[in-house]
Amino acid sequence: MLKCTINGKEVQVKPGSTIIEAYMKAKENIAHYCWHPGLSIAGVCRMCMVEIEGNPRLQIACNTTVAEGMKINNTSVKVKESVEWTLGFHLINHPLDCPICDQAGECGLQEYYMQYGKYEPGMAEHKVTKDKVVDLGSKIVLDKERCILCSRCARFTEEVSKTNEFGIFNRGDHSEIGTVDGMPVENNYALNTVDICPVGALTSKDFRFRQRVWYLKDFDTVCNGCSTGCNIKVYFNENGLYRVKPVYNEKVNGYWMCDVGRDVYKFADRDARQVKGLRNSNNQVSQDFAGKIALEVSQHLNSQKADSMAVVLTGQYTVEEYKDFVSFFKAKGVSQFYHWINNPDKLNDFDGILYRGDNNPNTKGLAKTLADEGIKVKPWNELFENVESSKVKTVVVAGPEIQKFYPDLESVFTRLNKADTLVWLTPGKNDLFEKANYVIPTKSFTEKNGTFVNHAGVEQKIKKGVTVVSEALTLSDASQLFSGKTAVGFESNVSKGHAGATL
Amino acid sequence: MAEIKLLTEHYHKPEFQTLDGYKKNGGYDVLKKAFKMKPKEIIEEVKASGLRGRGGAGFPTGMKWSFLPDNGEPRYLLCNADEGEPGTFKDRLMMERAPHQLIEGMIISAFAVQSKKSYIYIRGEYTKCLSVVRKAIKEAYDAGLLGKNILGSGFDHDMDVYSGAGAYICGEETGMISSLEGKKGQPKLKPPFPAVQGYLAKPTIVNNVETLAAVKYIIRDGAAAYKKIGTEKSAGTKLFSVSGDVNKPGTYEVPLAYPLRDLIANECGGMKGKLKAVIPGGSSAPILNADESNKVNMDYESLAAAGSMLGSGAVIIMNETRCMVDMLNVILHFYHHESCGQCTPCREGTGWLEKIVSSILLGRGRPQDIDLLDTIAQNMKGRTICALSDAAALPTISFVQKFRDEFEFYIREGRSKVTGQPIKRKNIKGSHHVEMHH
Ligand SMILES: Cc1cc2nc3c(=O)[nH]c(=O)nc-3n(C[C@H](O)[C@H](O)[C@H](O)COP(=O)(O)O)c2cc1C
Ligand code: SF4
Ligand code: SF4
Ligand code: SF4
Ligand code: FES
Repeated sequence: MLKCTINGKEVQVKPGSTIIEAYMKAKENIAHYCWHPGLSIAGVCRMCMVEIEGNPRLQIACNTTVAEGMKINNTSVKVKESVEWTLGFHLINHPLDCPICDQAGECGLQEYYMQYGKYEPGMAEHKVTKDKVVDLGSKIVLDKERCILCSRCARFTEEVSKTNEFGIFNRGDHSEIGTVDGMPVENNYALNTVDICPVGALTSKDFRFRQRVWYLKDFDTVCNGCSTGCNIKVYFNENGLYRVKPVYNEKVNGYWMCDVGRDVYKFADRDARQVKGLRNSNNQVSQDFAGKIALEVSQHLNSQKADSMAVVLTGQYTVEEYKDFVSFFKAKGVSQFYHWINNPDKLNDFDGILYRGDNNPNTKGLAKTLADEGIKVKPWNELFENVESSKVKTVVVAGPEIQKFYPDLESVFTRLNKADTLVWLTPGKNDLFEKANYVIPTKSFTEKNGTFVNHAGVEQKIKKGVTVVSEALTLSDASQLFSGKTAVGFESNVSKGHAGATL
Repeated sequence: MAEIKLLTEHYHKPEFQTLDGYKKNGGYDVLKKAFKMKPKEIIEEVKASGLRGRGGAGFPTGMKWSFLPDNGEPRYLLCNADEGEPGTFKDRLMMERAPHQLIEGMIISAFAVQSKKSYIYIRGEYTKCLSVVRKAIKEAYDAGLLGKNILGSGFDHDMDVYSGAGAYICGEETGMISSLEGKKGQPKLKPPFPAVQGYLAKPTIVNNVETLAAVKYIIRDGAAAYKKIGTEKSAGTKLFSVSGDVNKPGTYEVPLAYPLRDLIANECGGMKGKLKAVIPGGSSAPILNADESNKVNMDYESLAAAGSMLGSGAVIIMNETRCMVDMLNVILHFYHHESCGQCTPCREGTGWLEKIVSSILLGRGRPQDIDLLDTIAQNMKGRTICALSDAAALPTISFVQKFRDEFEFYIREGRSKVTGQPIKRKNIKGSHHVEMHH
């Protein structure tokens, strides 16, 4: 390790570390736009200026490596003036867009202006104007004027997605970011460029103008879009969920996430959710509290023989839920457990970056729980045969959270609905479900604590951050109600005592 | 002191352009001598000669060569024949009149640094150079002077010409490497330096045409003889491209430390009109006023002490008819246009500077613009990836400092102090004042 002094604080860093990394380690502020820990060093924004004792010239912290005993600061008047000026250079041709800019509130220019700026603008000349609201396909809108040419997006598409859509064209102050002929940016990682753009040049079509960021709260969790289990932040307010962004985890997803995963919030939000429990007796559908429906199911289950019951599980619930659910049925003597794999032939697909063919966050966790419980899952096709031959009379399904990943949902549902009694537990709504005998809304990944085990066996805890459907049950809640151990009224407790906010 | 003709001795002979003519005048004899030496000895000789790079920065050549890591990786030698610095035209002359002299110098240098492949990066506009050099390379191949086992020495070397597309920034060594690699010609961050990680991420030496040609004479005459020319820290001869208000503009080879006033008087046939100012090292060098010009010697140290630099040796001479506001605008127009746009201070600063001076020329200058020019330039200096930002900043600072009265007059009166009239030129950027409400 090397010792150095950052703004008077002594820190130790690994040999080869850059000064900016030492700043991060020392938890000292340092202005920067072009540097991103997940990308190569560009050294172009010139914001990260530091003074090194004994060196008359200021240096950039992002491309200067720490030497033993280096004394570095970015608090001297010389550095501050330099950064102020560099910021000034960034601003002279920047439009006065803040009021209508989606990045307002999370904009690097705004932040540093408050820190270093606040001076009279010296520029009396015409600004260089560039194209605004450039459509880059289904996901991204580009504003060339707001771009500060940090090249992060271009480096991202070169180095990470390896799709090379972005480039910087022209020279001097006519340099501009863009794609060839406005070619769309449709790769599955494109929205990361929106995240890393330090200004409002790249905005997400999905998020644009839907909320001012300062009205949003957030919490950390794990994406349930595939078996990688990228770490994410979910942004929400009292009106609902708005977006997700990746959170760094060296072991799992680094700095990034895929665009498929960007949509997971939509399946957890109220519009997509089964809000009430349903019962269907003789084609009369009625709604009720989830807990109440669960208690009715409990009565039904008590009246059934164990060998006439089958349980179907999908890889979208937590390890803890599986444990409770499976033990409940096991204790009842049920032995027919099935693992509904939506896309068996793609299960091992991998795009080489993050996204995996297995669209379930916890396939491994499910398999592990079943094994721990000594349960051998039955071959999937047997289930339909047993339903059709009436060997199985009651089917209980803990169905998928993200229905779009289950293209066979409708056919599976229809075939299982041939059973005398179909109990469907799910977070997501679907008109189809009115045909089931019982539907119990379950919690989505934003609303519960638990563990997902990803494709590589990494166990990741998720924490409840926000309650969207307060009546929804976890599989654990449902198991408890099925066991009849809980008095009536439990269902209203289910929604209480959550950490985090309630929508 | 008069001219010392080392590199330019045979320039006047058309035969010198062909292999036969070149050989008749001792061509490739030095290569034979070099092959009898060990590569390390050549490097030591070049080091001892005190040769400094003639491309602009004046970095000691032998020292640069010794930075090559000994890691067994292939090494590249690039000859910088982009000659982009405004006012500079010495390399073109060398390539046209003495292509084999460059090739011989390059083979010796390549042998010294043990490079098996070199490129001569010639600016695209130099069409004649391109064909002359290509032809000479072919002659050299046919004569076994390039290729495998050159002159039975066991040394293999291939040489190629690359035609640039005419961007100033491709003359900067890492910009040149990017360009050669087929990328946008843009300088790269240093470190790593090209000697460690250059072309195709392999150790690479970039040297100017004149530098590589000079190597031949160091090996021919020995380091000691070469070092005797010039001064302790500025050894050898230097080719100066003199342009502007003199009677005989042209390229002249003189020993370093030659007085500028002698260069004007003896080589250039004296002034046309009265000496007002000199840019001694290409348009990126700070300007000297008449007084400073009359006192200074043309070597690295003297010019640095006078607050300017030797640069590429492009001496631009101005008489009393030249309006300094106009001159600065011409220079800034160039650097604004040529900034590659990577680094913020350069990308935004060059344009800003040009716009301000244009505004002044258009009669819209504000009194605070003079100090603003200086402050902008001060904040562009030394804070970017390459020296192009400095190339715009240094002239600005020096023009404003040394000819402040002309800027003040123009702002006050809306016309040139020198010509008495507003300056009219096509490329003055139309620019208006816009009140900013921030
Ligand atoms: C913007 C810029 C343009 C340059 N253009 C040239 C050029 O046209 N020719 C040249 O030899 N060196 C040029 N240089 C200098 C080169 O970067 C480099 O220092 C030189 O080629 C090294 O060779 P030398 O050591 O023989 O001088 C330029 C430098 C800068 C910053
Ligand atoms: S669009 Fe954003 S990320 Fe891309 S170069 Fe511009 S400022 Fe940087
Ligand atoms: S790669 Fe998988 S876990 Fe990561 S964001 Fe995409 S869908 Fe979610
Ligand atoms: S200083 Fe100017 S020319 Fe040089 S790399 Fe930076 S922007 Fe490009
Ligand atoms: S963060 Fe170092 S130059 Fe941009």
